[in-house]
Formats: sequence, structure tokens, C-alpha cells
Amino acid sequence: MEKTQLKNWQKMTPVGRLFHTLGIFILKRRFGQLIALFLRTVASLFDKSHNFKSDSRNIILQTFFTGVEILIPLFVVATLFGTVVIIEVLSLMGKMGFSDIVGTLMVVVIIRELSPILTAFLIAGRTGSSLTTYIGGMVIDSEVDALATMGINPIRYLVMPSVIGGTIATIIMNIIFSASAIGGGFLVTKGIIFITGNAPNLQITWSYLSTEITKALTIPDFVFAIVKPLVFGIIITINACYQALNIKRDIRQVPKATSRSVISSFLYIVFADVVLSLYYFISYMQNLSTII
Amino acid sequence: MLDEALRLEDVYLSTNELSGTMFSIPRAVSYFENIKASESNKDYQLIAGANLTLKLGETICIGGPSGKGKSAILRLIAGLARPLKGHIYYFGEYIPAERLTALEVAKRQVGFVLQNAALISNLRVVDNIALPLRYHKMGTEDEITKKVNMAMDLMRVRDFAKMFPHELSVGMQKRVAIARSWAMDPKLLLMDEPTAGLDNYNRRNLLPLIDNMRTMFKTSIIIVTHDLMIAKELDCNLVFLHQKKLTEPHSFDYWLRSDSEISKDQFRDLQSVSPNT
Repeated sequence: MEKTQLKNWQKMTPVGRLFHTLGIFILKRRFGQLIALFLRTVASLFDKSHNFKSDSRNIILQTFFTGVEILIPLFVVATLFGTVVIIEVLSLMGKMGFSDIVGTLMVVVIIRELSPILTAFLIAGRTGSSLTTYIGGMVIDSEVDALATMGINPIRYLVMPSVIGGTIATIIMNIIFSASAIGGGFLVTKGIIFITGNAPNLQITWSYLSTEITKALTIPDFVFAIVKPLVFGIIITINACYQALNIKRDIRQVPKATSRSVISSFLYIVFADVVLSLYYFISYMQNLSTII
Repeated sequence: MLDEALRLEDVYLSTNELSGTMFSIPRAVSYFENIKASESNKDYQLIAGANLTLKLGETICIGGPSGKGKSAILRLIAGLARPLKGHIYYFGEYIPAERLTALEVAKRQVGFVLQNAALISNLRVVDNIALPLRYHKMGTEDEITKKVNMAMDLMRVRDFAKMFPHELSVGMQKRVAIARSWAMDPKLLLMDEPTAGLDNYNRRNLLPLIDNMRTMFKTSIIIVTHDLMIAKELDCNLVFLHQKKLTEPHSFDYWLRSDSEISKDQFRDLQSVSPNT
């Protein structure tokens, strides 16, 4: 067996051997394994043995698990952040006389950057960690092995529903975050003005805020409001599942894997955000060149 | 060739495979790493050159001291661990090591009862037994219900059908696990310590069931056990894992009377009793 293996190695052409080494080099790295796991998750969607009923039930359960329980902290965070942003932007811009870019600033700060990132952080802390513990516990109890020996693909049964459910929930939560940051933030600002007797000296009405924001919104904003949470949701869930499935049979590895999953999710999210925001940088550059 | 259920030919297994199956990492990576590691160091080899042939409908028990890789052999056969070298034939069909995964083996109707029952902890007992049947769409919902009820009746777990695994004792979990494997109609069943954690009454109930399975359904069974009396009660051959190899299969009485090192280790107390009885 060994000898034939060696012969197969030698049979490879130099180019084939180069690609083989390159493939093994990439697959040995964590990033390559993450991408491989994602591709296998996508491939598992087209498995021959599929049960639509149980799959959709798992996906809906995961969506609710990710979405519903995070709703209240997310709503509070969004409202408070929205309030802070509205008050600061209004007072600062009013003083400097740039009140016509209030809408643009709100869109840039809340809808483009803050909302996807904070939603992703909250979901990574909440769903990512619990996914890692859940699947990690299954690995320790060799339930994943049992699934595989029953002919049930663990990637399809465990990873695929979490990825799809988690991503759907992240997209919905992102929209809720943006809406409650602007709507809730406006209401809280009004409340502050009412309570303090307009001590901050702000003039704000709903029609002013909404027209400014709708004026500033562009089509790429709507696209990125879907694309960013989509990418972040995939990163969070795939990373959580990867860390969990990577646990060697040792119960002490579960908390380590959990913290690793959350921290590395944060890192990957920020990196992905920078990469996705390159689109805006490039469009700014083009705008500048047309102006000049 | 046609009448054999399983054949191992000169199988080598690395100790690295014991740390669990990495479903997150493509298997090629660990495979090449293991080959490198075991070539440099012989201590990495857990099993070196094991041979085994199992006929259709035959039952075999694997014994031996603990910590020597008995369960690892079952994991190897179930496809959870991958051999470094050697050939494994399932029902006369060779699966190369590159394609030897648990899913591939499970397609050939090989069932595995793990040492800790490994029931899915968020499903009730009924759903646990029905899970593989539903996933593979083996029949309509009525047929599945019928099959699940039959399996539960056989293993006497019908009263606990609506319970969660953590509410059951270890012995009952094991019975549910055996019912789950049985419901899938395996042609080859691997059992890791089926009687550990069972009381004497249930142990005595389990053995006729295993006997029924091999006579009625022509299931080939491999049992890894410390309880060597199973081999006598089921009247099947015993194989020992000795010096990283599997010995020839022989009957319980042969081992009892033989003069080899294994018999001295494993049958000492039985040998001292047997002349009197």
C-alpha cells in the first residue's frame, strides 16, 4: 500500500505536485479550513438524502434561537446608540453650520457601519458562543460520531441549518437595528428634549429627519444592508461550527474553543467590514476625480 | 468472497486517530500528517498488521486488555478512523483509504453502537430511534412508527418513549442505542461493550436478542467486550488483540484450555474454577 502511494506521488507531474503541495499548504491553515468547511456546507445542500421537512424545521428553530432571544438587548443597544448619534450629529453639525449633511452622516454612521458591526458583535457573543458550546458538547459525547455512523452527514445536520438560520436572523436583526436606532433614537431624543426643557437647544422633527435620511440613502446602501450581515452571519456561524468540530475529545477544550470562536469572529468581522467598505472608498475616489 | 461480510488485510492504525474524528478538517490533511508521523516513530502505531475475516451471519467477539485499542478497531471498521496502511473490504467491496469515511461505510448498512450510547440529547427516545429512518426516508411515516415501536418493544424501552436521554439510566440509554441501530436493518452490526452498564436481568435479555438478530436477519455482528462469557453464551468465536495484532478466531473452550499467554492473562480465574465444575 505504502509503495503504491509513493509511486502515485512520483507519478505526478511537477505542475501537479506544485498544486498538490499548494492545496495541502492552504488546507493546513485555519483560514483554508474555514473556507473548506463553508464550501462543504454549500455542497451538503445538494446531498442526495435530504429531508425538506426536518431541515426547514431546524433552520426555523435556529433563526428563532438566534433572533428572538437577542431582540431585547439589541433593541436597547440600538436605541441608545441611535440617541447618542442623533444628539451628537445634530448639535455638532448645527454649531458648525453643516446641517444639510445630517442625513448623510446618519446613513454613514448608523446604516452603513454601526448597525451591521454591532449586530454582528451581539450575535457573535450570543449565538456564536452558544453554537460552539452546543456542537462542542455533542463532539465530546461522540454524538457527532454517532450521527456519522448512522449515515447522517454532521455538516448537513448541524452546520447547514445553523449557517442558514443564523444568516437569516443576522439580516433581519440588522434591519431591526437600523430601524430602531433611527426610530427609537428619535423618540428618546424627543423625550430628552421634553424632560430637560430643550436644554441641549435642538430643533428636530420626524419629517426633517426622515426626509434628510431618505435623501441621503442610495441603492448601494440597500444592497450593503443585505450583503454585510449576510457575510457577517456566515463568518460567525461557520467559525463557531469550525471551532466546535475542531475540539479534540477533551472537555477542557470547550470553553477555550468558545472564547476563541467569539474573539476570532470579532476579528474576521472587522476585516470583512474593511474589505466590503472598499467599495465606498473606491466610489469616493471616483467622485473626487470627477470633481477635480 | 461473496459470503464474507468484512475482511481486514494487514491494517495499520495510528494513535493520532484516537483523538476523535475531525469533521471540520478535510481528511486528506490529517492523513498525510499521520503517515509522516508514524513513519518516523513506531510508537505512534496502535495496531500493526491486523487481519480479520468475518463471514456473513457470523458473530465474533474481540477481547483483550483495556487500553490496547479494541474500541479503535471498531472505530476503524465504522470509518471513524482511517488506517495508515492496509485494505478493508465490506461485503467483498474494497473502499480505498481516501474514500473511507463514516458516511461511506454507513451506506453499506453498517451499524455502530457506541460505548456511551451517544443518543442525540435534544431529541426524545422515539425521535432518536426514528431520526435515521426519517433522514433517509426509509418508508412512510406509518411504516417508520411501526418500525420504531417494534424496536422499542424488542429492547423494552416503550415505557420511556417520551423521555429525554438524560432522564434515562446508562443501561437504558444503551438499550435505546441498540434499538436505534436495529431499526436501520444493519447487515453488519458493531457493538462496543453492549453489556457494560446492564444489570444481570437485562444482560440475559439482550443476549437472546443478539442471537435472534443473527439467526433471523442474518446480521453479522462484531462485539468488543470485557465480558468473555458472552462468547460462550452466544457460542461464537473469540479474537484477542495481542501485541498490536489480532489473533486467530477460536472458540471459548479452546481459549480456556489452551496454554498460550493470552489464556493465562484473560482466563486465569475461569481456569481455576473450571476443573471443579
